[in-house]
Amino acid sequence: MGKVIVVTSGKGGVGKTTSTANLGTALALLDKTVAVVDADVGLRNLDIVMGLESRIVYTSMDVIEKQCELSKALVRDRRVDGLMLLAASQKNNKDDIQPEQMKAICDKLRTTHDFVLIDSPAGIERGFSNASAGADEAIVVTTPDVSAIRDADRIIGLLQNARIEPINLVINRFSPQLVGNGSMMDQADVLDILNIDLIGVVPEDSAVITSTNRGIPLVYEDGSPGAQAYMRIARRLTGQRIPIHSFEQKGLLNNIVNWFTRKR
Amino acid sequence: MANSTVALRAYRDGLHLIIRPHLSITEVEAAIQQEISRMNRSLAGASVQIDLKSPTLKEAEIEFLSSKLKETYDLTVRGVEVADEPVAPPIAAAPTTHVISQTTDTVNPRDSEPSRIVPYTIRSGQTEEFPQGSLIIYGDVNSGGEVRAGGDIVVLGTLRGSAYAGANGRLSAVIIAMDFAPLQLQIGTHMNRSSVNQEPRGYPEIARIGADDIIIVEKFVKF
Ligand SMILES: Nc1ncnc2c1ncn2[C@@H]1O[C@H](COP(=O)(O)OP(=O)(O)OP(=O)(O)O)[C@@H](O)[C@H]1O
Ligand SMILES: [Mg+2]
Repeated sequence: MGKVIVVTSGKGGVGKTTSTANLGTALALLDKTVAVVDADVGLRNLDIVMGLESRIVYTSMDVIEKQCELSKALVRDRRVDGLMLLAASQKNNKDDIQPEQMKAICDKLRTTHDFVLIDSPAGIERGFSNASAGADEAIVVTTPDVSAIRDADRIIGLLQNARIEPINLVINRFSPQLVGNGSMMDQADVLDILNIDLIGVVPEDSAVITSTNRGIPLVYEDGSPGAQAYMRIARRLTGQRIPIHSFEQKGLLNNIVNWFTRKR
Repeated sequence: MANSTVALRAYRDGLHLIIRPHLSITEVEAAIQQEISRMNRSLAGASVQIDLKSPTLKEAEIEFLSSKLKETYDLTVRGVEVADEPVAPPIAAAPTTHVISQTTDTVNPRDSEPSRIVPYTIRSGQTEEFPQGSLIIYGDVNSGGEVRAGGDIVVLGTLRGSAYAGANGRLSAVIIAMDFAPLQLQIGTHMNRSSVNQEPRGYPEIARIGADDIIIVEKFVKF
């Protein structure tokens, strides 16, 4: 039986779709069978980020309306074994789907895949409840800024109420330079507020933007810091214990400064 | 979180108006107006001490400011000090039972109040209410979260959200947090939005209603 993991955030644009595409691909590269599901009905873009948009024929809406079998709606990624995408309908909106219908899809997918990753839309409304309805676990994506963190905190409360656990945190678009000069929150500050387990830190990486535009998830071309970060998170998801990579600037002077400015 | 240019703070000896350096008199005036409108209550009749963080304003300008404060807000300036840091209250000498001993009844009002323990963190969008008595939070109250109690509120973590104590009308109610950086405080009907820290100071603090019916926040030593 596979695991269903919802990738969510509260705030928009913090990297849910990027994370779903890269973690899904990375898990497949690690020989897992993976289904990535776009739950952003009406504003789908997981298909674009994965470079599969030209191959979408059916969507989850067609499956729900019994227009086609689930297996037929899944698009196979030809670049790696074991990776499938279930697209969202672009014509409908989030209220056209019920949470129970999403849950039924997830429950089917988990019988055939090791991992089912759900790309949640932003917000706390119906789109979020649909995306999380079938989830066992959650990955909360945040950027290190106060508004994204407050929204992540809100989402964590809702996930806890729904008894979804564990809830793991990804800090995305982390910039060591900005932390170094004091204009970005560091890892410890974020964790101090959100108080959940950190599963990885993804640095700000311009390769993410080019990969999005080309429809080739970063992890296909190893080497960039972002790709490596996503590979490490995928390994952790498979149960491997690897230490969290710290992007924070080392150097003696920095350590001394940090030691003196540390809060507690 | 940028430091505001002018801050109105309530200390044990009353209100302080802290003015940061390198400001022109017009900037100061505008900032004062903003800060006072944030207070959400009239300050008419109160007195204020001006703390200049460096002597950038000329004496004539301070004179002008004083008459302006009197005219516009009915605020009397009781003194002017130039200091590198805002003049903090002498913590050690604090008569910590000051407010509580003001109440005429001899029984401890807390004795008759139940209290409730909340063994988790209050996150953004969540509210914890206990109108019957006091709340003790074994966690944080995050920004966007809210706690409301008939009596006291004690946060054994960081208070970043909003806390409303004394909802049952007991004005001796207090709000205590190990790390104190709330968004909003209210005790009874007394609101306070400006004399709170944006960053925890690294020691526990307590908020209560002090002289002039203004919420004061100070280091929590003991009750
Ligand atoms: N680590 C990163 N470095 C640089 N750019 C990034 C990074 N992560 C995401 N981005 C960029 O941020 C933008 C938003 O990312 P993405 O679409 O994944 O966010 P989202 O949370 O899914 O947004 P929405 O809420 O609209 O669904 C994209 O342009 C993406 O390329
Ligand atoms: Mg998205």
